[in-house]
Amino acid sequence: MKVLLVSLYHPELVRGGSQQICYELFVGLQSRDGISSTLLASVDPSFKSLYKSGAQITGFDGREGEFLFLSRDYDYLWHKVSSSALVRSFGEFLKAVEPDVIHFHHFLLLGIDLLTLARRVLPNVRIVMTFHEFLSICDANGHMLRRFDNSLCTRASAVRCHQCFPERQPESFFVREMWFKKHLSVVDAFTVPSAFMIDRYVAWGLDASKIFHVTNGQPDYSNGHVQIDARLKRNRFGFFGQLVDNKGVWLLLEAVQQLRAEGFNDFKLEINGDNLRFASETRRAEIEAFRTNESELSPSERLVVFNGSYSVDQLAQRMGRVDWCIVPSVWWEVFGLVVSEAWMFKRPVIASNVGGLGERISHEKDGLLFDVGDASSLAQTIRRACTEEGLWERLSKGITPPATTQVMVDKYLSVYGNGAAALSS
Amino acid sequence: MTRRAKKVPVRLRRDKAGDADKGELAADASSATVSHDKTFNAALDEGLENSGVEGDGAQGGGRLDQSSDRIFEPMEKNRGELIPAELFDEAGYLRLNSDVRRAVELGQIESGYSHYLMHGHAEGRPSPRVPTEARNVMLPSVGGEPVDLTSIQANCSIDTLLIAPSGGLMIVGWIDDLTYPLSCIRIVSSDWRVVLDAPRLVRERRIDVEKAIGDGVPGSLGFFGFLHFDRGGEAYAAVKVELWQKDGIVVALHCAATIVSDADLRNAALVHLASASLVGNRQIEYMGYFGQGVGAELVRFNKAITKRLVATPYVEHFGPQHRSPRGTIIVCLYGKSEFYFVQNCLFGGLPGIEEYEFIYVSNSPEMAEVLLREAHSASYIYGLTNSVMILSGNAGFGGANNAAARIARSNRLLFVNPDVFPRDRDWAEKHTRILDAGTHERTRLFGASLYYDDGSLMHGGMYFDIDVGLAFASGIPRPQQMCRVEHYGKGAPTKSPQFTQTRPVPAVTGAFLSIENLWFEQLGAFTEDFIFGHYEDADLCLKSIEKGVAPWLQDIHMWHLEGKGSTRELAHEGGSLVNRWLFSQTWTHTIEAGLKGPAPSHALFNSPSLPLALGPDIETIKPKSDRRRR
Repeated sequence: MKVLLVSLYHPELVRGGSQQICYELFVGLQSRDGISSTLLASVDPSFKSLYKSGAQITGFDGREGEFLFLSRDYDYLWHKVSSSALVRSFGEFLKAVEPDVIHFHHFLLLGIDLLTLARRVLPNVRIVMTFHEFLSICDANGHMLRRFDNSLCTRASAVRCHQCFPERQPESFFVREMWFKKHLSVVDAFTVPSAFMIDRYVAWGLDASKIFHVTNGQPDYSNGHVQIDARLKRNRFGFFGQLVDNKGVWLLLEAVQQLRAEGFNDFKLEINGDNLRFASETRRAEIEAFRTNESELSPSERLVVFNGSYSVDQLAQRMGRVDWCIVPSVWWEVFGLVVSEAWMFKRPVIASNVGGLGERISHEKDGLLFDVGDASSLAQTIRRACTEEGLWERLSKGITPPATTQVMVDKYLSVYGNGAAALSS
Repeated sequence: MTRRAKKVPVRLRRDKAGDADKGELAADASSATVSHDKTFNAALDEGLENSGVEGDGAQGGGRLDQSSDRIFEPMEKNRGELIPAELFDEAGYLRLNSDVRRAVELGQIESGYSHYLMHGHAEGRPSPRVPTEARNVMLPSVGGEPVDLTSIQANCSIDTLLIAPSGGLMIVGWIDDLTYPLSCIRIVSSDWRVVLDAPRLVRERRIDVEKAIGDGVPGSLGFFGFLHFDRGGEAYAAVKVELWQKDGIVVALHCAATIVSDADLRNAALVHLASASLVGNRQIEYMGYFGQGVGAELVRFNKAITKRLVATPYVEHFGPQHRSPRGTIIVCLYGKSEFYFVQNCLFGGLPGIEEYEFIYVSNSPEMAEVLLREAHSASYIYGLTNSVMILSGNAGFGGANNAAARIARSNRLLFVNPDVFPRDRDWAEKHTRILDAGTHERTRLFGASLYYDDGSLMHGGMYFDIDVGLAFASGIPRPQQMCRVEHYGKGAPTKSPQFTQTRPVPAVTGAFLSIENLWFEQLGAFTEDFIFGHYEDADLCLKSIEKGVAPWLQDIHMWHLEGKGSTRELAHEGGSLVNRWLFSQTWTHTIEAGLKGPAPSHALFNSPSLPLALGPDIETIKPKSDRRRR
């Protein structure tokens, strides 16, 4: 079986959950007998050094089976590329690779219409689409957060979307929905990493019989060696992820400020991650201001340390320095890879009680949930985590090892072969 | 070019006038104001200097040489043709010839004009000059008339003079003619001249002038004039604009005309009409004004533009080219290229669509590159049979669709708006079945039920009604009839069978209109008199009814995002004003005679064999004012 995986960005270029999972799957498939996998990852023109004159699709860094889709003139309104040469190149690429399965992990920077093109070029190919967010439903970056107050949105409609984008007529969202659904109609099977997403997409109008829950799997980065030091206090916290708005690091810093103001400062927080440039101007300014102020404090007064980005090789070391992992996402957070990574190291997670986080974490069993978007709730939880005796040990013992890459690959192979089998498993 | 009015003393001497008139004239002149124009005043100073007349230049208080009173100068011995009665200024003649006035008062002579005919013309009696040329046409000037300068102080201004050579001209200004009504405007260039009759002018409200003059009384001091011509009109230097008033008063102004393209002139004229204020209801008042000539001028001018724009279209074909498709879907694009690929996506792949070809005709040359690029991509992705026709400008709905129809390769034309999408997945198969199974009378011209994005019904056919408004432009209330087109069931619930069932209707919208190609030709295609877009569909349906074939509503259901398929600008609003007049003028009588209202009495809609006779049982949403449908 030949499987073509289509990804937004390559994790080597831009860290992110969807591209990480896609790449794990790509590597995992390669280890299976009778399966060959090809990866096509989109990039944007900010990586201009990777663009070659006149080329639309190229190889990547000498890596076998890995290719880049050199996107340009991307229409973010209709989610399509404007270049007919790029479109044609994609079609030619499909004919050259001749996959049995095309597994889209995204359409951003590629174009939703490439689904239809794939069906037209290869009428018998099995097309699988994994949703890592809600971009088909929600034009606000797929986060389903209401733009005017950042509250969680539970359903899309022409008028509700117009309320988020008052400069656009309600009818435009009606057409958008038709446009997306028409392209998605060629997909044979959809997968989502969390079960709650199935309800969301079915409510939107997708056929429930075509949507399957496939948990994201990853390699065990602990390699079976989990270092847990005996400590009197479990007051070391870590944030692991992108410093973008919806990941909520700004909320975490607000909670820290609150605790500091209350005189509670017997804890440390390490911020691990990057991509602050993708944060909104407001949040970026807040985080940078906090960082500046923090750096001006004496080492004994500092509560927060910014460690910058990290690679998976550094995960063990960074996880070893914390007791808890905090995931303060303020959007639906469809899965939270960082939860899996924390669990690999037996670190309980403190997370927002929303979306995939609320689905995966069992409150008081293997982690703690706080009210989404509520800095006070988070602050109280942090204080409790620091001060309640035996809490950490109890929760750490309650952690179930996360799904591995192999488990994920097995499930996807079922989806590639026979969706019903995957559902029953 | 609004000029600031300034009160200055004015002295005029009329040696030829009777003594008894002098005081009157002086009294009139003392209250005159001057309209400043830098170009004009500079030239005035020069002209006065050259003529040896003292003048105050910009102060405008120039005293004319006693020996030359240009306005009232006596006629030459060889004085040419007699002034026709309709142009003769009776009051002015009597003022200048007091003896004649006394004779008329004593009953010795019937009228001043009688005296003029019998004696005055031969004697060379003074007579107020009036333009004697043919009016409302472009005339060449033989030998070149010098653009001399005249000065007279009066409350007036020329704000805009736009000329499209070999096309048309538009003049906008104002004049305080409450006492001496404007009779005509004469525009003189070195090579041509034009005289616009006052009845052909649209009189507008000028609040700025009302405030400046100070009396604050609402009035129609502004004027808008428009003339179409197919030759002449070049203006390389200043032109003279004479505002002729009753009683022989004329004001001459020196203007620099702005030369523009015909399309720019059209836009400027229509934008002006859409923006102007009129005393009374603008729509109603325009009905009267347009009917006096300016409407026809605009229509003819627009037709000339349309003819030019559709003369040499660029056409490119994409996808498989069927030799004989079942139908040709024609979509007219303006300003929004994205509907090309959205429609290709939503129409593509549906059952039966492979039997149809698409022709996208673009009225927006500025998006040609984008459109053709999208066409290349869409062809590869969706595989539909497409043609793209690019016009060199906005030829309007009628012109563009007619041009596309001329390259259609099928016997069936479907005119579809860019914001119309399939609601029935099998609409194309349904359409084909209707053509195959329906009777000829029911399928020659038909439409579909259209729905808003919110699910409610938008169109279940159309009917006509007539509004009556009162126009006051003439000074007395005059009823004006205005036709209105309404949709059956607009806003009704999705399931409204009384509006959506198959039946004959007075009209169907051009947003989805299926017609036999031959019948379309026999009806003369879409009337290209309409400007930009509006009423062409109703007009086509009425032409069909006149020839004995009623439009039908068939069992096809589509989405229609009314008004979202193209950009709409102020010029389009102006075009709609003209179109409503044109449509009303053309069809009021026909509509009154059996096609009025949602249940017309016309025989075509009341045959016992019909599935449902339109009658009082039809519940309609209360008619609203005429809406934009494009």
